[in-house]
Order: sequence, then structure tokens, then C-alpha cells
Amino acid sequence: MASYLLQRLAGTIPVLLLISLLVFLLIHAAPGDPTLMLLGEETNAAEVAKAKERWGLDQPLYVQYWKFLKSVAAGDFGKSFKYAEPVTHVIRTRLPATIELAIFAICIATLLAIPLGVWAGARPNSWIDNLGTTCGLFGISMPSFWLAIMLILLLAGVLNILPTSGRSTYGIAGPEQTGFYIFDSVMQKNWPAVWDALTHLFLPALALGVNMLGILMRVTRSSILEVMSEDYVRTARAKGLREKKVVWRHVASNALIPVITVVGLELGTLLSGSIIVETVFAWPGGGSLLITALNARDYPLVTGLVMTYTTAFVVINLIIDGLYAVVDPRIRY
Amino acid sequence: MFYRVKISLLGFLALAMFAGSVNVASSQTRITVGVTETIETHNPYGDSVSLLYGIWSEVTGPFCTYNYTKGDFEGRLAEKWKTENPTTWLFYLNKNYKFNDGSAVSAEDVVHSIMTRVIKDPQSKQKASVAPSVVNAEAVDKFTVKITTDKPTAPLLSFLCDRLIITSKAVFDKYGRDVADKEHMLGAGPYRLKELIPGQRLVIAKNPNHPEAKKNPRAPDEVVYRVMREPEQRVTALLNDEIQIGQFVPPHMRQRVEKNNNLKINPVDSVEIMFLAMQPKPPFDKKEVRQAVCHAINRDQIIATLLEGFASRLDGPLGPGQYGYDPNLKPKLNYDPEKSKKLLAQAGFAGGVDIELQTPVGRYTLDKQISEAIVPMLNSAGFRAKLLTPEWATLWASVQKGTIPFYYMGRGSVQDPSAALHQYFHSGETPRIGYSNPKLDEILDKEQQEFDPKKRRQYLSQAMSILTEDAPACFMWRHKLLWGLNKKVDYAPLPDSRVYAIEMAVRR
Repeated sequence: MASYLLQRLAGTIPVLLLISLLVFLLIHAAPGDPTLMLLGEETNAAEVAKAKERWGLDQPLYVQYWKFLKSVAAGDFGKSFKYAEPVTHVIRTRLPATIELAIFAICIATLLAIPLGVWAGARPNSWIDNLGTTCGLFGISMPSFWLAIMLILLLAGVLNILPTSGRSTYGIAGPEQTGFYIFDSVMQKNWPAVWDALTHLFLPALALGVNMLGILMRVTRSSILEVMSEDYVRTARAKGLREKKVVWRHVASNALIPVITVVGLELGTLLSGSIIVETVFAWPGGGSLLITALNARDYPLVTGLVMTYTTAFVVINLIIDGLYAVVDPRIRY
Repeated sequence: MFYRVKISLLGFLALAMFAGSVNVASSQTRITVGVTETIETHNPYGDSVSLLYGIWSEVTGPFCTYNYTKGDFEGRLAEKWKTENPTTWLFYLNKNYKFNDGSAVSAEDVVHSIMTRVIKDPQSKQKASVAPSVVNAEAVDKFTVKITTDKPTAPLLSFLCDRLIITSKAVFDKYGRDVADKEHMLGAGPYRLKELIPGQRLVIAKNPNHPEAKKNPRAPDEVVYRVMREPEQRVTALLNDEIQIGQFVPPHMRQRVEKNNNLKINPVDSVEIMFLAMQPKPPFDKKEVRQAVCHAINRDQIIATLLEGFASRLDGPLGPGQYGYDPNLKPKLNYDPEKSKKLLAQAGFAGGVDIELQTPVGRYTLDKQISEAIVPMLNSAGFRAKLLTPEWATLWASVQKGTIPFYYMGRGSVQDPSAALHQYFHSGETPRIGYSNPKLDEILDKEQQEFDPKKRRQYLSQAMSILTEDAPACFMWRHKLLWGLNKKVDYAPLPDSRVYAIEMAVRR
């Protein structure tokens, strides 16, 4: 298992290299000169030249890329043009918000999708199956930006039970320590702040998680349906086990492998979806930071963020691969 | 199982309802403002957007301010000023302005702010907007600053007032730029910075002993600026009292706000001029084609329908209340599609001509919808127009490079039009339009060097007449910007979109 994981880890290096080259070339090919975007086009030529020299933009592209690779190897993405701070620091301050959001979106999606999918698959064509299928289709079909606005209108507007946007209410949260508001507030035993953070988190996490919920629910249902017709399920029933035990002990545990694969794949969608959802909900995470960086043509920050997201995606999939062996003891690497 | 899930959800919503109704109990007054600009950096000189100029000016001064009621500039931190000669200005500081730590604001702080922070600091994004012609600033004595420009700059105050941010030299020397900005932000304004979370919010708290704060005791004790870029979000937040002031309610959402008994809409004529720019490249290299575009567009109809009357038509670059506005400006390029067709025929395009209009989406009020309405108007007048909607960063980068022949755009903060006219229409200033007219250049240069207001207005009027006739741009309208306000708050929004908390009043 360890050697397999090491092999997989080594395999990610060319992937990351290729992605870094693609991102680097694409952002440099996009129209817009960072010196003009950040300093204004009325800035005189001498100052533009100075800025280009300072940011290394006066050098040939291959030299810039080589320098970038060397810095990345040392764990440094360079300095952000816009923020004048190391990219790693800028990302570190914003990423906890995205991680917190993603974790809650996954929780909402999996906690609702798996029971619904199992239930629907175990009782095909029942009312719960029809309800689950409808919910699943709804989740898959709804674009997150539209759903986000609808959720704001309904839960923040009409019902007025949740805040429209932002990450916290001013004056409630204590000092920031890790950047994870809920964790920080729990550690500080500041329960109003925990609750405040949860209420702010609910709408964006729901908007982000609904799509995943739909897909997971559909996959779980199909997987359960398939496993239900296996011989060992019939044997389990013949032994006189209760239906609940058959479904959860024998069927669900075997049907979960494709679900785990989908969770891994969907995490990538979740990260890209967070860019839209964070913008709509003014959520100060990596997604909204990426939009700001793109608008400013902040090359180091854009590249650093995309590389961070890519690495996260690759690592998560690696973990998911490892999980197969835990869920299904027959799988050995 | 489903029942249990349902119970959990209902429980969560009930608790959320409880949490949602909790407000921070305090005897202090707090106003939350939903704003459209992002707040991304602790460096007060690190962004160049009108909202942040206003907030930082309020925290640090302002140096001087434009009074729209009087139609003139007023002293604040700089009490008064005079021109020693056409390139030398003397500014006299108000000795009552003190930093939050009690130290007086001196001429050295002003010199430091202009030279070190605005002009020389590579992280400054403000040189072109605040001190484009300033070459030197020096302290004459403790409270007098001499500013020298590279050429006579009559509209210098329009660059400095409500924009020049004065920060403490001593704090900068002690801690360095980044730590000083982040942890020791000192200002001499009626409000002080209390909290800044990039991308999320900025909080300022009133300094009750400040001379300006004493003039308005009903000004809120704290103001929270929350980034809310989506109009739906701002309107919903107004309706549920999450915010008390919402910037820029789109006209089609106005009724939702007005229907609520606790809310009101305050419209204000913006000083942002909206126009269609035309690069003098084929087919727009012909004056007749440019004029034909202007005659083809029924501005009154767009204002009456799409904008629901919330805009005032422009017949030249400026409207009432803007410096240099001339109500008798000629010619007026009125809606006349038949004339458009004749002009196109004169230009050799009797059979029509292909053009592409590019527009931002969501940058300005109903920009895409307006452009969608303009395209059929152009087509009815003999053009074959297509609409392109690139994302903002790409569009703006191309405009800055001068590679877009025809686009819909706005230019904000036009109190005094000198900077805007130079920026878009003076040869060699920027490639945004790429227009060049030696006669116009000469008049614009004279206007910028003329310190006699009457003569300067005459020059501006001549320049605007040339522009209307030659039509490198069709001037469309100024939007009436709608601000949603809770009725507990009295506030008259300003035409340039800066927000000064000291001008708000809370009804207790």
C-alpha cells in the first residue's frame, strides 16, 4: 500500500508540472498588462519599466517560468503584485474560509445524499424513491449561482432567518487564530460566535453542496440497486436478518465504493464551484481571491492559487484511493 | 429516518431564526453600509477606487473636500491654500487636526504622504489619480506645505481633495510600511479605523472630540462597510435590516425597497458620465459615421423605459452641477435615424456597415441591457451592429491598450472635467480612444493652465463644443444612482459615490 501511494505521489509531479505550465502560459496570454491594471495606464514609461523589472516581467517568458519553478520547489510562489506580500501568505489567510465552506458543503451533501440514496435504492419506485430522484435531479440541474440567489431571497429575504452574506457578524467573533472561524470560536468557548459562523456558513454551503448532493444521491441509489440483486444479499435475507440490517450492513457497505470515487471527483467540482458561490455570498475565501487576482492580472497569485487547488485535488484523490482499501478489505495495493 | 432528518432541519432553522434576530446590544449607534467595491488591502495607498478614497480620507482628514452645495472646494486638514505662481501651491494646515495618538499633523506628514507614499512607493496605485503633475512637496514650516507641479495645473484641487490620504511619518519610520498600515493606522479624521478584514468588511469608529464630529453629534458611532457586490444581496439585506444603507439599488428593484415601510430610496445625480467611445479607425475614422451613431440612439427612450427615468440625458460631456457645464453647448446630436442614414451614405456606406459594440456586463447600471437596446437602434439607422460582452478584465485591458474600436463605458468622479477630457481626448495621454485633434489639444492645455475660473470655463466650453461636433464619443447620460436607506438614517448620498459617515445622522 505504501509503495503504491508513493508511486501515485510520484505520478502527480508531471501532472503538477504540466498544470503549472498551462496556467503560466494561459495567464500570460490573457489580454491585459499587470502594470497597466495595477498602476493605471497614465503611469509614465519609466515607472512601468521599473515595475516590470521589479516583478520580473522584463525577462523572457521561459526565464520567468524557470524562476517560478525554482521558487515553487523551495515552497515559494513569489510575491503578489497586488498585495505586495508573499503569495503563500495571502493564500494562507484566505484558504481556511474555503476549506471551512467545502467541509460543510461535503457534510451537507453526504449526510443527506447517502441515506436518501440508500433508502431510495432499497425501496425502488416507492414515494421516498420518487422524492429522492426528484431532489437528485433538482440538485444536478440547478446552477449554483442561480440557486445561491434563490436561497438568499428565500431564507434571508422572505423568511429572514439567515444572513445574506459574509462570514461573520461584526463584534461577535473573538480574535482570529487559525482562520477557521468555527474552530477558533469553539476553542475560545465563544458559543455565540460559533452559532454566528454556522448561520453565515449554511447558505453558501448549501448552494455549493446541492449539486454534489444530487449526484451522490443518484450514484448511491444506482449502486444500491445493483448490489441488492447480488446472491449474498439473498443469502442474508434467507438467514432471516432484518431488512434494515441487510440494507445497512451488507448492501450499503458494498455499494459505497463507487460513491467514494464520485466524492473524490466531485471535490474538484466543489472547489471550482466555490469560486462562484464565494463571489455571490461575499465569502472571503480562495475563490473570491482568485477573481480579484484575475481582474488585477496578478500572475503569481493566480498561478499560486491554481497550483494550490490542483494539489488539493490530487491529494484528495490519493486519499480516496487509500480509502478504498479501508472500505473494501478485498482491495489490496 | 426521514422524520428525524426533517426534525433536525426544522431545529436548525429555528435556532438560526433565533440567531438571526440577535443584534449586538449597545447604546452606541451603528450603521452598516452594503458597498459594491472590494476592500482588499490594509495599505491606504494600495487601491484607487472612489469608495476607498472616501473611507481613507474620512479616517485621515480629508485633506480638503468638494462641497456640492456650494459648488466649490473647502478646507479640512488643509485649512486654506493659495497659488504662489502657476506651478507652486502653498497649503496651510489646520493646527486643530491631530492624529489619534494626540500628535499634531505636521507639514512633514503631508510631505511624507505625497512623496514617499503616493509618488515613490512602488505599491502605490494612486500617483496617476492623486498627484499626476506633482514633482515635489516640501515643508515650508511646521504647518505649511509647498507643492510644485511640472506644469501649471489649475485643477490640482480636484486631484487632491477627497483623495490625498495623510498618514503619520513617525509611525511609518518606527514600524515600516506594512506593520504601520496593518497595526498602527493613525489618522486625523473624524473616524478612526477599527477593523479591516480584506474581502469582507471595514469598520470605523467616531472620534467624538474631532471638530467635524462635534458639528454633527447624530453621526453614527460606528460604521461597518460590508462588501456586497450582488444587487439582490444588498436589497435583501436592506429589507431584513442587516444593512441600513445600500449602495446602488438597480431601478428594477426600487419598488421592492419602497414598498417596505421602514425603507426609502434616495436618488442622486451621479457625476459619472456614460458614453459610447469610437476609435478613429475604419469605419469610425469618418466623422459622419461617428455622428451617425450618435443620431441613431434614442437616449430619451432608453432613459424612460430601461432606466425608468433614473438618468439625465447628456448633450455633451457634462451635465448640470459639473464644473464647466454649458447649457447652451452646440451642436446637439439629437435622435434622428433618417439623418443617420444620410450621414452614412455621405461617408460611403449607403448599403450599411458592420460594427461591433463591446459592453461590460454588470459594471454599470443595466449596461448589457442598455447595449442590447442600442444594437437594434443602430441597425434601424443603417448599421449592421453586433454586440460583444467580454468579461470586464479583458474588456478593460483592451480599452487601456486602445484595441477596441467601439464600446460603452463610464467615467466616474467628473466634478471638474479636466482630467477626464485629457484622459480620453487629448493626443497621446491614453490610447483608450486614440483620438487626436491639435486644436482640441491646444484648448485643453490652455484650460489646464488657466487659473481665472471665468476664462477656464470658456476654454472648457470650446473644448466640449469641438468634442460634440467631432463626436469621438456619443455622450449618453448620467445615471441617477439609487441608494436604499433605512428611515432611521438621514443621509444625502454624494454624486461621486464616496461615502462620508460624518454626513450621516441616526434618529435615535
